[in-house]
Amino acid sequence: MADDEPTTSRRTFLKFAGGTTAAAAVAGCAGGDQGGAQETTTGAETTTGAETTTAGNETTGSEETTSGGEASREALLQQANQLLHDQAPWVFLNRQYSVYGVSSNVEWTGRRDERIDGYAIQPQGDSSEVTITQSQMDSGLDPHDHRETPTDNIVLQAYEGVLARDAEGKVINQLATDYQRVEDGVVEFTLQDGVTFHEGGDLTAEDVAFSINRIVQEDVGGLASPQSDQLAGVTGAEAPDDSTVRVMSDGINPTVFAVFATYCDVMKRSWVEENDGAYINTHMNGTGPFRLANYQEGVEVVYERNEEYWGDPAPAQGLTIKSASESSTRVNQLLSGETDIAVNVPPQDVNRVRNADNASLTAVPSTRVLFNAMRYDVEPFSSQQFRQAMNLAIDLDSIIENVLQGFAAPTGQPTLEGFVGYNPDVNPYPQDVERAQQLVEESGHAGVSITLQTPVGRYLKDVEIAQAVANQINQLSNVNCELEQREFQALVGEITTGNIEDKPPFYLIGWGNATFDASQTIIPLVTTGGALTTFENEQVDQLMERAQSMGGEPNGN
Amino acid sequence: MSLARFLLKRGLQGVFVVWGVVTVVFLLRFITPGDPISVIAPLDASPATRQAIAAELGLNRPLYVQYLDYLVGLLQGDMGYSYISNTSASARVFARLPATLELAVAATLVAVVLSIPLGVLSATNRNEPVDYGATTFSLVGISTPNFWLGIMLVLLFAVEFGVFKTSGRGITSARALSALATGNLDVFVSWLTYITLPAITLGTYFTALITRLTRSGMLDELGSAYVRATRAKGLPETLVRYRHALRNTLIPVVTVLGLQLGTLIGGAVITEAVFAWPGLGTLVINSITGRDWVVLQGSLIVIGVGFVLINLVVDALYAYLDPRVVSD
Repeated sequence: MADDEPTTSRRTFLKFAGGTTAAAAVAGCAGGDQGGAQETTTGAETTTGAETTTAGNETTGSEETTSGGEASREALLQQANQLLHDQAPWVFLNRQYSVYGVSSNVEWTGRRDERIDGYAIQPQGDSSEVTITQSQMDSGLDPHDHRETPTDNIVLQAYEGVLARDAEGKVINQLATDYQRVEDGVVEFTLQDGVTFHEGGDLTAEDVAFSINRIVQEDVGGLASPQSDQLAGVTGAEAPDDSTVRVMSDGINPTVFAVFATYCDVMKRSWVEENDGAYINTHMNGTGPFRLANYQEGVEVVYERNEEYWGDPAPAQGLTIKSASESSTRVNQLLSGETDIAVNVPPQDVNRVRNADNASLTAVPSTRVLFNAMRYDVEPFSSQQFRQAMNLAIDLDSIIENVLQGFAAPTGQPTLEGFVGYNPDVNPYPQDVERAQQLVEESGHAGVSITLQTPVGRYLKDVEIAQAVANQINQLSNVNCELEQREFQALVGEITTGNIEDKPPFYLIGWGNATFDASQTIIPLVTTGGALTTFENEQVDQLMERAQSMGGEPNGN
Repeated sequence: MSLARFLLKRGLQGVFVVWGVVTVVFLLRFITPGDPISVIAPLDASPATRQAIAAELGLNRPLYVQYLDYLVGLLQGDMGYSYISNTSASARVFARLPATLELAVAATLVAVVLSIPLGVLSATNRNEPVDYGATTFSLVGISTPNFWLGIMLVLLFAVEFGVFKTSGRGITSARALSALATGNLDVFVSWLTYITLPAITLGTYFTALITRLTRSGMLDELGSAYVRATRAKGLPETLVRYRHALRNTLIPVVTVLGLQLGTLIGGAVITEAVFAWPGLGTLVINSITGRDWVVLQGSLIVIGVGFVLINLVVDALYAYLDPRVVSD
């Protein structure tokens, strides 16, 4: 699976709200996911200070990476991940990959955040026009009024944020030249000079502050933005001078830079105020490397290069984004030369692209993880030994190889490699049927029957993965596992009620984390009071509380 | 009963059918698993957020209030506002209707141009190779699922030979036809590269069906007493066949044509998906995957109304062709 890993890192601009496409998406609906976690949990837990003693060392053995007495935030998150690996609240499954077909007329590699940055596409042939086919078109062009990746891919060719991420997910500057934490809950961004909007006018700190307020405050900019919880904890922004933006948060907000690297596109205040929603949803006026040339709602969006871009002009002169909901149609377009990038090539179409002489595959780990949640409060999943046994029963590598054609990576902790808080010392559980049977025996649940519930068609190969998991658990001599296929919305209805008692005891689900920070996965899913939690553990809670009371690394990474 | 009264009666029936469609479509949202709010809300939204969404969309009102509100809106041409696509549903649905109609008409044209001559040939050359060829073709055509046919046509003629486009619509038919009128052949041909494969895909089943219908109709007519009389009278065989037998055969053919046009509007969902044709079918699929209920409801209602309207036109046409229908 490593052969298609990306090698090049590229510059960008982005943002992403989860959902590879609305179809192969994350946990949430149409890509809505994580963000709210901060709102619902972090706010409630708040900061109890760093005097709590380090928890979890007896089980984890994970070293604190900083010198001196106080553990860094990252070290605390790593400890939490080690602890969660040992506690095994989930059957850890695979990290999803984003797989693209790329024509030999262009050079481009995928990004971890699933964004497709037209700016990074290098035309190779005679034509400097580039076409991208994704699964869906936008849901309107207002960058603050949506939550899906397909729309992001369209609006973010023209709009930019203060920060961005590189292809690996690291935080980098975009419209800002500098950013710093001024005090708890207050950060400042310094903007670069000489940035102009497509329809004229310079970028000012006032525009940035307005854009932030438009998202987080219902009465600003004529919109109650569905992205308000993506800028979790942020309460407002102001512009003390022309090039400084000051952002205020509730509490310390350790992930504030990570959040701004993913969310919040900057719009021109006067343009928003002078135009109505219908206009803003059919026009674009950003600072990005491409400007809108022609918008055909639901059909295609055509851009031309922004010759006045503040950075180097984009290599491609023109860019077209269109859509085909059928993956085979996207691949057909690629193979017949009608498009340059086909988004989301599923395993069954992989070989067609691989065997083509005018296209190739690029695959990159996404920010989405699949797992089987096990409710810690019901038997047999209340036993840590039983939960570990379920992990040891699984041959994750064979699932990845056979079901996903190698386009996935195994996981052994909630946090993904490359995220803040990922623990490099934690390995995925190996398959060990003997040991699994022994642990089941020790847990006192030998002979138990369990049922795994899985959504159908929500995630790439969800049913096939769940079938493999159920079969492999069935191979234990002392556990019987059945599979129950569920309609996604019905399953979601049960897991989002807020009461752990209403949730199915054992189910497959996916989770995307666009902020590249462990807290956005651990807090909502495996801490006490998390919106989707199926696992509660005092040590994990304490570690996360401490981590969230710290300012995080100054560079946001 | 006069023709006008007949049509009035059919029209009234149509209104009730549409009302039924609207009601079912409206209720669909409530009987499908998962409540509408969990479709819209982020997975980890708090109960307060969920209530706020419900209040904003009016989903916390009693069902009958929501229903009446929806009906009143529809009567004013308002299908509701989609918070997912940020447009009025009517605007979105009607923007897609022309593409679907264009494809349906193109498929019908393909079918008419191919099927009637084929059916006639088949009937007049009964039990000869032409007949066997035509009947085999109709059997295969009727039994081939059109998504498979579409995929095969694309693989062969678009990906392999590069003659046609794999997908998309290119320009509108109006622009293509005006290009043809002004002699701009390139533009017209480019339009053909887009529409030909989807039209054949969608029209094949239909072609096969009409071929069979024409063949059996012709055989019936050719064996009937009045045809024997015209032959006895010494009329040339071509006149017997085309002026008398074919004309009578066409009455049921017209009916089926009309009805099929109705199903083509709604039934093009799969073909549109295979060819990424930006019509109502694609809109239906995208609305389902994007959980855009308002647009989905609007699309289904437009498809339903289209079907009823076409039926009405067919009824009128039929009554005109065969006055006995009215007096029944």
